[in-house]
Amino acid sequence: MEKDYKLIMRTAIRAGEVMLKSGAETHRVEDTMCYILRTAGTETVEANVTMTGIMATLNHPDMEPVTEIKRVQERGTNLNRVMEVNDISRKYCAGEISIEEAYSRICKIKGKQYSVSVYNLATMFVPIGFAMLFGGGAKETLTSAVAGLVLAGIITIGKRIHLKSFILNVVSAFGIAITAILFTKLLPGVDHNIVIVSGIMPLVPGVAITNAIRDTLEENYISGAARILEAFVTAAAVALGAGIGLSCMQAIGGGLW
Amino acid sequence: MVTILWGGLGSFIAIVAFATLLETPRKHLFHAGITGAVGGFVYLISMACNKDVVISSFFSALAISFTSHIFARVFKAPVTIFLIAGILPTVPGAGMYRIVYYIIAGNNAMSSYYFIQTLEIAGMIALAVFIVDSVFKITVKKKQ
Repeated sequence: MEKDYKLIMRTAIRAGEVMLKSGAETHRVEDTMCYILRTAGTETVEANVTMTGIMATLNHPDMEPVTEIKRVQERGTNLNRVMEVNDISRKYCAGEISIEEAYSRICKIKGKQYSVSVYNLATMFVPIGFAMLFGGGAKETLTSAVAGLVLAGIITIGKRIHLKSFILNVVSAFGIAITAILFTKLLPGVDHNIVIVSGIMPLVPGVAITNAIRDTLEENYISGAARILEAFVTAAAVALGAGIGLSCMQAIGGGLW
Repeated sequence: MVTILWGGLGSFIAIVAFATLLETPRKHLFHAGITGAVGGFVYLISMACNKDVVISSFFSALAISFTSHIFARVFKAPVTIFLIAGILPTVPGAGMYRIVYYIIAGNNAMSSYYFIQTLEIAGMIALAVFIVDSVFKITVKKKQ
């Protein structure tokens, strides 16, 4: 039976693209693509994934090699999509669904599952939880909730006007620092360090660091190094924003630093 | 003890919220939160016992990756779903921020202190994740 190599290749590339965009580790993306490509039964199966792009090749003595390159621009984290692609590829490799069905299912994977309001609510609850974890009392927790609210507002507006993530991080951290210092003035005894650190937790590059560690341990050094750089750039943006906010408040109020 | 429970509750809330931001599937939000709470709990207990951030991070990461592997097998989902969100209270995101913050503030001593600490914590997390990964790979091979 002649297999549709091109469709298998398209499915693998598409699966890899969705996973890479959703913040899966490169190792997992390569693994999934190789599993799909191997079902073609060719002699050569190669998939090379870096943080910014995908390359894959199929070759067999009696056919022209099939090679595709896909550049992946945007990156975010969407664990739901990672899980769905994983599920589809597993079913396809087990022979439960055909390649046509696998391809159409991968194309149909939806973007976001939560609405903007749920997202904003979550942005508010992350600082609350972290303020509790970092040893803050009721006052700090309350102030962090306000900081989270400010953050949710800034992020919503920033996304609507399509700000670059670096600038958005600077502005968000700036807003949190201002809120924290203002509340220290209003409510004496609030530890503004706890509020600021809890407030920036949704921005801080925790996921990037985790993935950097895992990629590096899988000996994917290019992606590992790229993710460490990503983490540093994000941290720099956040620290810059918070620093500007603190300096501004110091210039206005004086002696709070 | 109250502070530890309060902190554990805090990490549960934080991780459920964070898991939402990461678009974790709805049915796994609660499980990711449990993973985070276990991590926060172990971290705070360890901090109360020996006051060492690096060792506490190691134990916490060990508990988190162990829980995620168990959950991954029980609920038949990739480990990442539980691990990425669950490990966040331990991961030195805030440490990263402090490094750059103290560079901007011109305090090089504090900056290098946090730099070393962040590296150590990251190394400890890597070690913990690696250990648990390897242990689970061995048991899976034995079953086959």
